Amino acid sequence: MSVPLDLVRRLFATRFGGAGVIILLAISVLSIFAPWFASSGPTDIGAPSLQPPSWQHPFGTDSLGRDVRSVLLFAGRSSLTIGFCAAAMAFLIGGTIGALAGYFRGPLAAVLLRVTDLFHTLPAIIIVLFSVSLLGASFWLQVAAVALAIWPIEARLVYGQFITLSEREFVLAARAAGLSTGHVIFREILPNALPTVIVQVALDASTAILIEAGLGFLGLSDPAVPSWGEMLNRGQEFLELAWWMSVFPGMAICIAVLGFNLFADGVTEMFNPRASAVPPKLDG
Amino acid sequence: MVRHIAGHAAQALLLLVGVVIAIFCLLQLIPGDPVQAMVGDMPVPPALRAALEQRFHLNEPFLDRLFGYLSNVVHGDLGYSMNYRRPVIDILAERFPRTLLLAGAGYGFGILIGIAIGIHSAVTPHRSVDRGWSGLVLIGYAMPTFWVGQLLVIVFSIQLGWLPTQGMGPMISRAEGVDWLLERATYLVLPVATYTILETTRVARFMRASVAETLEQGYIVTARQKGLSRHEIIRGHVVRNSILPVITVMGYSFGTAMGGAVLLETVFSYPGVGSLMVEAVRARDTQVIVGVVILIACSVVVMNIVVDLLYAWLDPRIRVAAAPR
Repeated sequence: MSVPLDLVRRLFATRFGGAGVIILLAISVLSIFAPWFASSGPTDIGAPSLQPPSWQHPFGTDSLGRDVRSVLLFAGRSSLTIGFCAAAMAFLIGGTIGALAGYFRGPLAAVLLRVTDLFHTLPAIIIVLFSVSLLGASFWLQVAAVALAIWPIEARLVYGQFITLSEREFVLAARAAGLSTGHVIFREILPNALPTVIVQVALDASTAILIEAGLGFLGLSDPAVPSWGEMLNRGQEFLELAWWMSVFPGMAICIAVLGFNLFADGVTEMFNPRASAVPPKLDG
Repeated sequence: MVRHIAGHAAQALLLLVGVVIAIFCLLQLIPGDPVQAMVGDMPVPPALRAALEQRFHLNEPFLDRLFGYLSNVVHGDLGYSMNYRRPVIDILAERFPRTLLLAGAGYGFGILIGIAIGIHSAVTPHRSVDRGWSGLVLIGYAMPTFWVGQLLVIVFSIQLGWLPTQGMGPMISRAEGVDWLLERATYLVLPVATYTILETTRVARFMRASVAETLEQGYIVTARQKGLSRHEIIRGHVVRNSILPVITVMGYSFGTAMGGAVLLETVFSYPGVGSLMVEAVRARDTQVIVGVVILIACSVVVMNIVVDLLYAWLDPRIRVAAAPR
């Protein structure tokens, strides 16, 4: 138990890591326990519509007479779920492909890397739009579509890590000692690739939230699930009448993305103090 | 040098063919009967079915259909839009230049400003200035692009009333000559500014990291000991060396800029390829969707080749290493 505690302490000692963790924890708590912080449910339409921010409705009310703050809190659930789940899925797909290509090399690696390149050529939002147009936009299909768009970055990263790490002495020693392939991959290489991979997963989560926001904004996300992007889509119609319908959901997205980016920044700095800049997010 | 570029171009071309094949295969995965989809919610008489299958080569073997499709694409035949009642290639030809203008301008400004901010942020002796830039860039980086567009519209169009909210020009215009150009330009200011903000944050981050790394190199120490001025070192040694990694990312970043068009053009109701894609997705106009995807893939690939050329031109090491021996 002492090791994770030590890691947390080191993360908080970095420039941004602590702030990232606090932001992520705060927004997670706010959306998980949304009913506690909201004044009404996400579909309650009791209030007068298009009211500017006031004491009673700090973020105003929307065109349907819903309290924007309450919708925002509940919508956070789906936006964060997409962030976490799409990043996890991208890690599983990309990590597996990158690891296979990096460990076994040869023709298999060549084929896998070509496929990765293929996906990498197209901008993520285009891939997501394309798959949504083919398969429809139910919530979990949407998560899958986002994962499909962001896994190539993960695959390349893991591939690179495996290529460098599998040349290192401790891996050669493990192989020479006759340990199984599974042991070498999961017990020797993976733990050492983890810091880099965690950073990328966090950046993927922020990308996923941004992509979801875009999809929702275009009105192509699951209409049954409120999300920050979908709120912005509604806000676009009332831009001239109700700025609060667009400004607050956008801020929420901004804060969530910032949280993931700062966390990634902190982890990078923790393991590699020289390069404290987050590797660039390439989409959104 | 020529061989180096040719090799890359050949690879890029293969990649494009791959994209088209992948799209074709994905289209086969759509559930449902294509003939039924064309006819709509009506029973299909066997004679009509046979005729449609004949017309669209639906009964031919998979590979034959694939090659037929590839040769159509090569000949510029991207199908017919049911929604616009026009050939897809014509719509794309009309709309792509607009997107290119918008994305290109934002991309260009963004790269220039981003490089400037990155350099300033890395070489400034004042920590607080660096912190300030880094903070701004971090926040700019986290903002969804289209939301920035919305904010600019709220402030500059709705609250201040300085600029038009959307479109490419007024519905009715009597302006001519320079006035006409200026009128058009006011419509471009906000979308281009949004693009620029997006691109600037991306490039500035990169540039700052790259310059910081360059500053630690031995040749900078040497240059300093030679007695070169701060200005000379930055201009002669730092900028050129730090720009290389930034250029590498620019190719991919261009794809992202094209992707950003999808959202930005929707915010500003700008009739480019991006808004076309959205309209097509809403109308389930598959041929148009595929056309846009192929077009964007092409432009990314072309941009990658341009980046390769630029890189070789800027970095003599590549020029020399790739020269035929």
